[in-house]
Amino acid sequence: MRGENQQQFYYQLILYICGFLLFWEWMRPLEKVTDTENITVFIIFAAFSFFISFLQVSWWLSMPLKLLGLVFILDGLFLYERLFSKEWFLIIYQQFAYNIDLILNQQWGDMTAFFRSFLFLVLLWLMSYLLYFWFVIAKRIFLFVLMTFFVITIMDTFTEYNGQWAIVRTFIIAMIALGVSSFSREMEKEGISFGGMKRLHRWILPMAAIVLFSTAVGFASPKPGPQWADPVPYIESAVGNSGGNGPGGGSIQKIGYGENDSELGGAFMRDDTPVFRVAAKKERYWRVESKNHYTGKGWEDTLEEDIRVANGGDLGIRTFTDEVETEEQYSLVNFNDDVQLNKLVYPYGAAEVVSYPEQFQFLVHQPTGEVETQVNQKSRQIPGYRMQIDVPSYEYDQLREAGENDPREIRDEYLQLPDDLPGRVENLTEQIIKDEDNRYDRVKEVENYFSTSGFEYNTEDVAVPGESDDYVDQFLFETQQGYCDNFSTSMVVMLRSVGIPARWVKGFTGGELEDTDIELEDGDTYNLYQVTNNNAHSWVEVHFPGIGWVPFEPTKGFSNPTDFYVDTDDLDSSSNEDNSEETDTPDTESPNQQQEIEEDFDSDESGAAASEEGGNFWNYIGLTAALAGIAIVLYVTRFRWMSAFLKRRYKQSEDPAAYQNAYHYLLKVLDNKGLKRKPNQTLREYANDVDRHFQTNDMKVLTHHYERMLYRNEQQSDQWRKVTELWENLINKALS
Amino acid sequence: MTQQLSLYEPKISEVMKNVNKVMVGKEEVTLLSMVALLAKGHVLLEDVPGVGKTMLVRAIAKSLDCEFKRIQFTPDLLPSDVTGVSIYNPKEMAFEFRPGPILGNVVLADEINRTSPKTQSALLEGMEESSITVEGSPVPLKEPFFVMATQNPIEYEGTYPLPEAQLDRFLLKLNMGYPTAQEEREMLSRTSGDHPLTKIRAVMTKDELLDIQNSVKEVYVDDTIRHYIVDVVTATRDHDGVYLGVSPRGSIALMRAAKAFAFIQDRDYVIPDDIKYLAPFVMPHRIILTSEAKFEGYTAERITEEILEQIAIPVQRNRHE
Repeated sequence: MRGENQQQFYYQLILYICGFLLFWEWMRPLEKVTDTENITVFIIFAAFSFFISFLQVSWWLSMPLKLLGLVFILDGLFLYERLFSKEWFLIIYQQFAYNIDLILNQQWGDMTAFFRSFLFLVLLWLMSYLLYFWFVIAKRIFLFVLMTFFVITIMDTFTEYNGQWAIVRTFIIAMIALGVSSFSREMEKEGISFGGMKRLHRWILPMAAIVLFSTAVGFASPKPGPQWADPVPYIESAVGNSGGNGPGGGSIQKIGYGENDSELGGAFMRDDTPVFRVAAKKERYWRVESKNHYTGKGWEDTLEEDIRVANGGDLGIRTFTDEVETEEQYSLVNFNDDVQLNKLVYPYGAAEVVSYPEQFQFLVHQPTGEVETQVNQKSRQIPGYRMQIDVPSYEYDQLREAGENDPREIRDEYLQLPDDLPGRVENLTEQIIKDEDNRYDRVKEVENYFSTSGFEYNTEDVAVPGESDDYVDQFLFETQQGYCDNFSTSMVVMLRSVGIPARWVKGFTGGELEDTDIELEDGDTYNLYQVTNNNAHSWVEVHFPGIGWVPFEPTKGFSNPTDFYVDTDDLDSSSNEDNSEETDTPDTESPNQQQEIEEDFDSDESGAAASEEGGNFWNYIGLTAALAGIAIVLYVTRFRWMSAFLKRRYKQSEDPAAYQNAYHYLLKVLDNKGLKRKPNQTLREYANDVDRHFQTNDMKVLTHHYERMLYRNEQQSDQWRKVTELWENLINKALS
Repeated sequence: MTQQLSLYEPKISEVMKNVNKVMVGKEEVTLLSMVALLAKGHVLLEDVPGVGKTMLVRAIAKSLDCEFKRIQFTPDLLPSDVTGVSIYNPKEMAFEFRPGPILGNVVLADEINRTSPKTQSALLEGMEESSITVEGSPVPLKEPFFVMATQNPIEYEGTYPLPEAQLDRFLLKLNMGYPTAQEEREMLSRTSGDHPLTKIRAVMTKDELLDIQNSVKEVYVDDTIRHYIVDVVTATRDHDGVYLGVSPRGSIALMRAAKAFAFIQDRDYVIPDDIKYLAPFVMPHRIILTSEAKFEGYTAERITEEILEQIAIPVQRNRHE
């Protein structure tokens, strides 16, 4: 008897090890097709979980053990704080809070590596239970084997993972597992004791021979080429490359140029996908469009559709009058291939697109300065163009003396504020500007306010205004941390609240200096800048009567590349202290400073965001398919694993309610197997049907006891204990 | 309670065995009659003459060691013929009450619909109130008191159909039905010698019967069952083809019958099967159909059946309770 048990134990062990090896095959491709690192650690954890599951110790021992393993792995991989110290718990708490928040907002892609690893470990944990049940209890291996083959073939076809050897390994493991399991099942069915099997080699040898033989045949036999063409390129071309990188996406989740600014706020993520490359004399802000209507949550464009087709390359989008001094320059813009912005980016003073692909047309939205690029009336991304720019330089005194007489249409459009804007925004602004007597100085005071009053540039911990919050009010008085959208929107709203017409502008900052002194066709030398999604930016334009719109930069850590100068003729008459400071501005570009800031962007690396490979999209599809497969299998076999689980639970329970649940669960299982109880059928009638079907008496007895509990309100639970076996028998009969 | 059950159950089955010695193939009618007897109710048998109604009643009466009386209703029968009459006794110089047939234990009221409503009501009053009024003063009826009335469906002409309110007084309405050929042959062979009725003897005393009747009241009816009864009964009131549904008295009747039925089954609690089984005998004679429904060929039996099909059986304890 003892020997029999021992042998059965060995069979189970073999099966379970096979199960683990098969599961290992599922994990192998992860390193290749996702950005998962340290896969060994996960495999060790899986092995650990499988081992504990196999020991079948009580849950109060196995749970803490596995949990401990999980914690150690997470600690080793991600946490530098001392284990179980106060900070350690704080970090854990923060991670969970942050990620659960993301989950609630359905920003799946933004979850941190820590949390994803945590979820993955939990999944491994659960798999150890599931596979134990499948392989050892239910001895149903085939389905899992089949799924393993599916996953490997899918991975091999759609990803860069090479499943050539995986298939061979899986085949061998599967054959062994299937052989052992069907052998042990046969033995059980026929009631042959394992102890009686003295000559093990009688069946082990043939099995090994068959496995080896079929493997060898499979390996050696000629393999015809693929019968179908590789489906991947076809599907990709049919779907369009929707694995897209960045532009035009949601404004919240990933940095980049987005269309929809009606709901600002929330964290975003670094994305250094290149958008375009420019050759320019110096760093410029690249404008795309402005927005006029502030809703309390974000920006909308409510201006009339004053759209016209540009006359050739002449755009007519100058934001300033002829009063402003300009200098003629040229710039060359080249977009990256996979960008889908469909708009021109241009510096202040852009006068004319002097050379561009002929088939393109420019659709200019005059009030916002948005220039759409079209081919045959359809939005298309222009690959590149050369522009003539009249670079403006604003003269300080001219700005100071511009006065307050804005044209009516400017006042109508650019002083708008939502009715429910809290009054403290205006009060604060009044307070800031109270010492200044002209518009320029007032604007400068507001602009400086952000850099001197404890505001913090932050992309991670940025609030999303709630239902009753105002975006600007929240930033100014509550959070005081945010990124360009927070600063620029706040400045516009503050200026408007004191009657200064201002608007919100979107575009890109100058980008990263890649090269200097590049000589272009026109014989001039240029600097080369690389602009990525990280450079997407927003800033402020303020209207000055007779001068036009002048850009300002409130965002902490960024500096305004616009040129301002002091007219030396007026030097004597104007205040010196101010000028000396301001004159520095014209040529102070601070690429270094900006660099730093950009590196402060969310440092969390996401596989989805960081990867540029189009294949990633297919990884997701493959992964989703695999998960869906698991879900389907779990669903189809739900009664099997649920039964095993419930058996244990009900056996331990003393509660009459447990009896009721168990009985009804049985009804459900029977129902699922085609023995449906009609609603008007009494339990006795049904029990008769069931017993007739299974040729037993069990259901009648079980029902009789249940009736006593239900219709006689009997509370004694010993009844239940008596019939547990009947219940188990019936469940097993129904499932077999 | 359980003890009482095991004590009485053999007695009850003995009575039924006894009755079935006389009746051939009428086990169900016997069973249902026992239900009515134990529930202190009465039975209305609707069938053609000669199928053994009288024999059934007499067999029950004889098995029970009870006084059996028979009233043959005719159009000229007077209430006093039912209740009894006071006759002047010149010897005693006083009126003497001569009890009528209603003052028996088991009463067979034959062809009840052939007499005038006045006489009918004399019987029905007794059934409902367990006492009758003779010349202004109440006379209590004997206990146990069990009426089996018969009515003849084909002789509708020249009869006084029982009003609905009075039909309600009968716990169950049964049909005997003709025996099958085999049963009839069996019947012939049984009656070729002495009539089997003469051979049976009382197997239950009056006191035992009264005890059992009292025990039946103790049978447990769970809330889930009460819900089910009410569901079934109220469904008759909402049915389109029904002009007048089953009254609350009908619900009580159904519950009482179910208790007795459970008792006979050696069970001290009622299950939905009891209700489902008994409803077709308890409910139809309490339902009045609309004329449209009648025209469409509906019968009260069919409606009862339909309702039992529709109402879901309670199979779990309500967790909100």
